[in-house]
Amino acid sequence: MVPIKLSYFENLKRYLRLDPGLESDVIKEICTHLEDRSHELKESGLSEEEATNIATRILGPPQLVARQIYEVYSQGTWRQSLCAGLPHLLIALLFALHFWNNVFSLAIVLVLVVSVTIYGWCHGRPNWLFPWLGYSLVPVIATGALLIYLPGAWSWFAILAYVPLVLLVIISVTKASLKRDWLFTSLMLLPLPITIGWVVALLGNTNLLWKEQIQHFAPMIALSFSVLAIAAATFIRMKQRWAKFGTLVVLESIVFIMIVYAGKSSVSPVTWLLIALLGLFLLLGPALLEQNFTRNHSKPA
Amino acid sequence: MNYERELLKGSTDSLLLSLINNQPMYGYQIIKELERRSNGYFQFKEGTLYPALHRLEKAGLIYGKWQKLPNGQERRYYYITLKGQKILAERLAVWQDFSTAVSLIMQPASN
Repeated sequence: MVPIKLSYFENLKRYLRLDPGLESDVIKEICTHLEDRSHELKESGLSEEEATNIATRILGPPQLVARQIYEVYSQGTWRQSLCAGLPHLLIALLFALHFWNNVFSLAIVLVLVVSVTIYGWCHGRPNWLFPWLGYSLVPVIATGALLIYLPGAWSWFAILAYVPLVLLVIISVTKASLKRDWLFTSLMLLPLPITIGWVVALLGNTNLLWKEQIQHFAPMIALSFSVLAIAAATFIRMKQRWAKFGTLVVLESIVFIMIVYAGKSSVSPVTWLLIALLGLFLLLGPALLEQNFTRNHSKPA
Repeated sequence: MNYERELLKGSTDSLLLSLINNQPMYGYQIIKELERRSNGYFQFKEGTLYPALHRLEKAGLIYGKWQKLPNGQERRYYYITLKGQKILAERLAVWQDFSTAVSLIMQPASN
């Protein structure tokens, strides 16, 4: 392939960020268009390189073409929007209805989250999958954390076998979501700083017992996860990338302010600052990772 | 120039529907046909055609289908749907009323 054409389609692919099937269809369609135009120009006496150069110029910048096609498909349906908000709503319901200490309810939510994630993962990884994916990683991480507290050799087993395995799973999942779009990785990691924020706020409040603390903060926790549900649902309905990212930043900041307000008396400002920075890192980090990932993949062998 | 661009922007969907309504076409063919039938007046950035076609397809006004040509090459032909035909008829009626009204005001002597 002529280098100009190769670079054009590499850029087009980089900015399209569509479902793999749809993406290959769009690229094939534009490729045939480019070939038709190049063929016509070559017949008028131009060399292959000149013809390709002019044909790509007439086609317009790949970033612009890709962005316009992305915006056609980036807006999810209301049903997809509801599906994306549902896992956050389930967590909100657990706290709103005080089911968080009921093992049966927790088991149902866990099974549902894992089942939906497996279903979505095996059915083309649709846009609504990513919030579910984030929650299905929570029990994997939590099990690792609990294993470390086991007595004697078991904690070593956890450190040497389970933790690397978990890291491998998390890295593979993150890579797979980055391949699709870094914004989906940010969406996936959305509840992580919020969960850490609540744990810190509850641990810092020593006036009440652990169970009483959760009971006390349950309405606020439910409200915070409801806002996350709105964030995920709005994210799916937005067309432009900046609007999707803006939604995540604004609504997560609102939730964070709620947590700081709830636990303000017990936690130092430095701790809150660190959690806020972690939140920002989890929102922006995927973009940097994707850049690095793309650069490594586009390096010539 | 900006006025012309705005006019074209507002009419792109109707022009595409109108062409595809006459016969199923693929992207490059649409560009050539637009150019030919407008005596070279419509020459837009070719890459912007595909977002417009995909937008119409997502709205259910047209649908695309890959077809193999006798020479072995594949082309994605676009077909108009019933919904697309209905929308086109509505737009055509609006356009005729609008252009008649504009002509009555802007070219009063010729009427």
